[in-house]
Amino acid sequence: MEDVRYITFEKYLNKELTSEEMADFEKQLIANTDFKQEFEIYKALETSLNSTFENEEKETELKATLTNLGKKYIKEETVKKETKVISLFNYKKLLVAASIAVLIGLFVFNNGDPAYSDFANHTNLEFTVRGENDEMRSKAEEAFNTKNYTEALKLITKIGNQDLKDTEIQLYRGICYLELNSYDAAEGLFNKISNGDSAFKYKATWYKALTYLKQEQFEKCKNTLKTIPESTEEYELAQKLLKKL
Amino acid sequence: MSIKKHADHIYIEALLKNDSRVLSKVYERFSPKIVAMVKKNSGCADDAQDIIQETLVTIFHQASEKNFILTCPFDAYFYLLCKRKWLNELKKRGNKRVTIVEDVTSITEEQEQQVEETEIFEQQHQLFELKFKELGQKCQELLKTTFKIKSMEKVAEALGVTYGYARKKKSQCMGQLTKLVKASNEFQQLNSY
Repeated sequence: MEDVRYITFEKYLNKELTSEEMADFEKQLIANTDFKQEFEIYKALETSLNSTFENEEKETELKATLTNLGKKYIKEETVKKETKVISLFNYKKLLVAASIAVLIGLFVFNNGDPAYSDFANHTNLEFTVRGENDEMRSKAEEAFNTKNYTEALKLITKIGNQDLKDTEIQLYRGICYLELNSYDAAEGLFNKISNGDSAFKYKATWYKALTYLKQEQFEKCKNTLKTIPESTEEYELAQKLLKKL
Repeated sequence: MSIKKHADHIYIEALLKNDSRVLSKVYERFSPKIVAMVKKNSGCADDAQDIIQETLVTIFHQASEKNFILTCPFDAYFYLLCKRKWLNELKKRGNKRVTIVEDVTSITEEQEQQVEETEIFEQQHQLFELKFKELGQKCQELLKTTFKIKSMEKVAEALGVTYGYARKKKSQCMGQLTKLVKASNEFQQLNSY
């Protein structure tokens, strides 16, 4: 019965109705609000899908152009700014060769303060609970474990939205923010978890300390580290960092 | 009623033509302000880049589908779109403090209207895309082929079914999609505009 309705819509849009059917169609549009509403959606969908699929390739090409321009005008600017301090070195290479970071540390941070990068060794993201959206989860794992935090954050946020209670996901979201220097967002998430009672309570406390460390707020970092009790996994690391502060 | 194109409509045309020379001007002229706004409000350069790109792609869709004509300066229109998009993103990320540090930009009613038009277009576009993905694999395939190939005879041929069956299936799938859209919360909201 309803299928007939959609066939009529299709015929109307293709101008295939006989004058008799046409008169009936227009009568329905006035008399039947549901008919009218569905027809309007149907018509809007037809236009929208038509345009979307017709322009699919153009969209892909445009996105490629925009990504390049973005890199040129937005990303390079930030890279330039950040390399100012260590202009002798290629910033990108630095990111890749984490081992060199220690050397640079001697150069730049010669005041003896410990560097965030010395302590930011994240455990790989591995989802233990599998379910729907396996593909999204694998992509998130891959992005995070290859340090592509922008992409990881996007995916993790999507997954997180579906299951807000999953503390581990929220923790990894926080790590992404931290890596991307969105300190407020990172701190907010870590705070929430460390104030809770989950298995990740102290891991989140540790990361909260790292958030301060990265911003060179050493006092706050110290105070946070002191709240990590001896019985926890994070204790040893926390002590190691405390000694250097 | 004749709508008067603003001189900045060249940027819309550049999106349609993928004209990287003119588009580079968009980045050069308009992106610094947006990057600064995002950074001031707990984001980073990458976030700004995503927001800018997504906004431009939306304008591209609106221009291709609805023949969107820009009647006000691009600057304020674009900035406001990006700002509101970033605000939404912050909300999505669960950020409590979502009042954006305000810089004084005076906005005319006309600009406001164009911004809203684009936003409503985007919401609808996203809703349709989302619901499309909820359809069964067969329907998605059939509709995609239909809209790409246009001629139903050729669609039938490509899918190895009869012409009559292809047409009937198309209207059935479109009907399913119509019902999905109608039942969604987002549609109820959009409709109340």
